Amino acid sequence: PLKEKGRKKNPNLKQLVYGASGSSATAVVDENHESSDDDEGDGEDFFMPKGEQSKNLGGGSDVGYANSEDCSKFVNYGKLKDWKEKKVCESIRNRFTTGNWDEAGLRNK
Amino acid sequence: MGKTNYKQLKGSQSFRQRLLLSTLSRKAITIKEIRADETIPGLRTHEMSLLRLFETVCDDGVVEVNETGTQLKYKPGTIMGGKNLVHNCALSRSIGYYVEPLLVLGLFAKKPLSIRLKGITNDPRDPSVDTIRSTTLHILKRFGVPSEGLELKIEARGVAPNGGGEVLLTVPNVPKLTSVEWMDEGMVKRIRGQTFSAKVSVDFEHSMRYAARGIFNNLLPDVHIFQSHVSGLEAGKSPGYGISLVAETNSGCYISADTTVSLGRIEETEELDAEEKPERKPAADTGDEVASWLLQEVEKGGVVDSTHQGLLFTLCALCQQDVSKVRVGTLAPYAVETLRNIKEFLEVTFDIKPDPSTGTVILTCVGSGLPNLNRKLS
Repeated sequence: PLKEKGRKKNPNLKQLVYGASGSSATAVVDENHESSDDDEGDGEDFFMPKGEQSKNLGGGSDVGYANSEDCSKFVNYGKLKDWKEKKVCESIRNRFTTGNWDEAGLRNK
Repeated sequence: MGKTNYKQLKGSQSFRQRLLLSTLSRKAITIKEIRADETIPGLRTHEMSLLRLFETVCDDGVVEVNETGTQLKYKPGTIMGGKNLVHNCALSRSIGYYVEPLLVLGLFAKKPLSIRLKGITNDPRDPSVDTIRSTTLHILKRFGVPSEGLELKIEARGVAPNGGGEVLLTVPNVPKLTSVEWMDEGMVKRIRGQTFSAKVSVDFEHSMRYAARGIFNNLLPDVHIFQSHVSGLEAGKSPGYGISLVAETNSGCYISADTTVSLGRIEETEELDAEEKPERKPAADTGDEVASWLLQEVEKGGVVDSTHQGLLFTLCALCQQDVSKVRVGTLAPYAVETLRNIKEFLEVTFDIKPDPSTGTVILTCVGSGLPNLNRKLS
């Protein structure tokens, strides 16, 4: 998720995807990006200049699953939350029909 | 015959999407510098196999590859589709790799597509055949693809390295795709799943199912994970097991996660360092992990999971000339790549806006209005 900090720095998501000039893209996504627990600064390291990208690739645990590989499947979940903890589950309670429907409805406002 | 203009591209990235979008938009391409600097240069066996697959489904296409495989010239032909087709998928990638572009290609064919694909059915790198059944096919239906004739039948399992799996894929052809306003993720009402074990004990499945159910216990009671223990010809040529999970919401969204453990696969690291072979993790941990992935996908929000964002955008861009509007979680790298390829070939640019209150992203586009010219001819 793109949080406050990241958004202010990178106000235009469209530009990040398509490139500033609208021609060839300058921003490339960092695949090694780990979705951190607290979302802090997510927006900042989500996109990276082209050169930076390969630097981060070395020593990844998924040998052979390099950046340029043609894979739709998302596997970079980073450090997993402990979903066995009741407390952790509560954070997504309202995304389930067992949660609060009124609060869930607000998402689509 | 006029002179063909070739769109000039470079590198090995986005190979499938380039081929697919080139074919759909009838724009010829040349790709240069395909792994030109690598120890083993050029196209990989699965990429060559994919080219053969496109030739099987299309008529009059022209494929030219140079000796080292570092250059490809591709002039798309007519997407024919048709029945009783067969393709042997190269074993360097699983069937999911081939099915992803094939599903979209089939929609724009002259005749409905029915093809038998042989190879690896389940692998950690691509969506498994179980996930394609439980999730991917549902996404197509959202765009007006009829459910009759849209099917993936698993006839035999096959994992890496030797495969031996077999599926029967049928895809109906459509005159056009209907645009969507798909913003409501809804609430997860149930979780379904499928485990399999081939040439190994069914105990692996029990452990994965038990572990996964344990994770969901706190959240909802409606969880069913089916098992499929196969042997003999139905189990393919290599031992392995896997799990595919899907969270279904009350607004008709399907969020998936899957993985496969191929016991016969020799990891590159193991070859180098046979002494320090890491212990394979218990099947219960695999169940835990995939269940956790699923919940993290639910947490991200969006009407599809990270893996299916690219397909979602592709379908939006291929719709009739109406506005489509969709909500996804954090944009996945593959999805960003897809957006760029869509712009390159279909000249469709999405408007992309973050939705701060939910941490999701809202994308809007006007479809390219690409009609199925092939179908009209018939």
